[in-house]
Amino acid sequence: MSNPIKIENLSFSYGTLPVLENASLTIEEKEFVSVVGPNGGGKTTLLKIALGLLEAQSGSVSVFGLPPQIGCKQIGYLPQYANLDSKFPVTALDVVLMGRLGKTRRFGLYSKSDRETAREKLNRVGLSDLHNRPISALSGGQKQRVLIARALVSDPKLLLLDEPTSSLDDYVEQELFDLLQELNDELTIVVVSHDVAYVSKYVQKVICVNRQVHIHPVSAVDENIIHKMYGEHVHAVRHDQEHGHD
Amino acid sequence: MTDFFNALLHHSFLQHALLAGLLVSISSGIVGTYVVTRRITYLAGGIAHCVLGGMGFARYMQTVHDWAFFTPMFGALLAALLAAFIIGVVNLKAEERIDTVISAFWGMGMAAGILFISKTPGYGEDLMAYLFGNILLVTQRDLLLIAGLDLFIAATAFLFHKQFVAVCFDEEFARLRGVNTQLFYFLMLALTALTVVLMVSIVGIVMVIVMLTLPAAIAGRFCRRMGPMMALAAGLCALFTFSGLAISYQPDLPAGATIILLAGIIYLITLTARR
Repeated sequence: MSNPIKIENLSFSYGTLPVLENASLTIEEKEFVSVVGPNGGGKTTLLKIALGLLEAQSGSVSVFGLPPQIGCKQIGYLPQYANLDSKFPVTALDVVLMGRLGKTRRFGLYSKSDRETAREKLNRVGLSDLHNRPISALSGGQKQRVLIARALVSDPKLLLLDEPTSSLDDYVEQELFDLLQELNDELTIVVVSHDVAYVSKYVQKVICVNRQVHIHPVSAVDENIIHKMYGEHVHAVRHDQEHGHD
Repeated sequence: MTDFFNALLHHSFLQHALLAGLLVSISSGIVGTYVVTRRITYLAGGIAHCVLGGMGFARYMQTVHDWAFFTPMFGALLAALLAAFIIGVVNLKAEERIDTVISAFWGMGMAAGILFISKTPGYGEDLMAYLFGNILLVTQRDLLLIAGLDLFIAATAFLFHKQFVAVCFDEEFARLRGVNTQLFYFLMLALTALTVVLMVSIVGIVMVIVMLTLPAAIAGRFCRRMGPMMALAAGLCALFTFSGLAISYQPDLPAGATIILLAGIIYLITLTARR
């Protein structure tokens, strides 16, 4: 079985501006990984390369052993919902159905089985009574769940979330991570976040992206100290197993 | 108002006008919903104004060079599709602000049209009809063309409803799901261009954008899904056209302007009403 994501010696620049330099990382199956780093550090670029939306100038990228443009079909992607029009005339079910594109028939409306699968996924994320609610009438946390259901409805092997917690309050954020942890039984999960301090208790590995890429296991060794510094749910990060150079 | 209904029974020009208005409403409801939700109103306005260039060119070639087949409607279709294609390419490829590019085409299309028309003998009436529409001049041939384009637009919208909704809502995600988003973007612009041409004969170039967007905008306040929004927008467009024609008939007001004012007033009223 190929790794969900394997990146080796990847470099990317916009014009002459280097964004990623000699980055290498591997994400193993069923891992729960967090990608952190400051804004402008290259997180979004890395994500777009993994999705096949951008092409790296050098280095190799494979998604489930395939080039990203093909492998991305196995990824359930969750964009930042702040970028979407929250007044758009669609219901929760309509949004989830969009995830069936590429699997459903090309012409005409969605099939009955598409609808059944979509309803199933909405129930799975805890929105069983909101199928026909317009998205404009959903809360931030509910919208996020709709997008998760949309990502799940194509039966992906990897769930990739871009800043899923950026506009949620702490309580809703924790509920979201509880859901992700449940989903982690079946899926590999990668969460991108600009918040360096926030490393959830759920994550097994942290990938720091700031032009270079460093990978850290979440270690419980210095937990007590970190708890004193940041409060609960924050684990210590040890800088070993470095890829790229400083 | 009874005069209008009497006249409707006896005059074929009025029947043609009404039929044209109702037929165009179907396309307007569908495409107007795309334009409003995808926020390409200004782009549609640019395409509409480029149409004058095509109509002027066609009129000039017909009159001065005896190209009888090159009707203004044909010229309009050509100009609208060309404008949609060029603006679309510039939007995707060039790193230029899209509204600036549209403004350039908007003005150039108008200017080219005016140059051609001014060099065509007897230009005055043509120009007024192109700019402000003359629904009462719709011929039987026009009706056939309108019906044909209507059918094409409705069929395309139905066949690719899934893809269009996804592209309007979240283009990047649709692309990741294997949808050829560029193709559907261009297809959407082409449908917009065709609808604009159909509407030019009813309300004229200057007011197309109102007729394309306001019914959809009103419908958007009451509908929570794209399909019903299209249906309601089409219904409203038909209602405005019918009422506008009826109101304008007896006092001999310009039909296009009456239709537009009516749509605008209803839109403003719904803005103040609560959802």
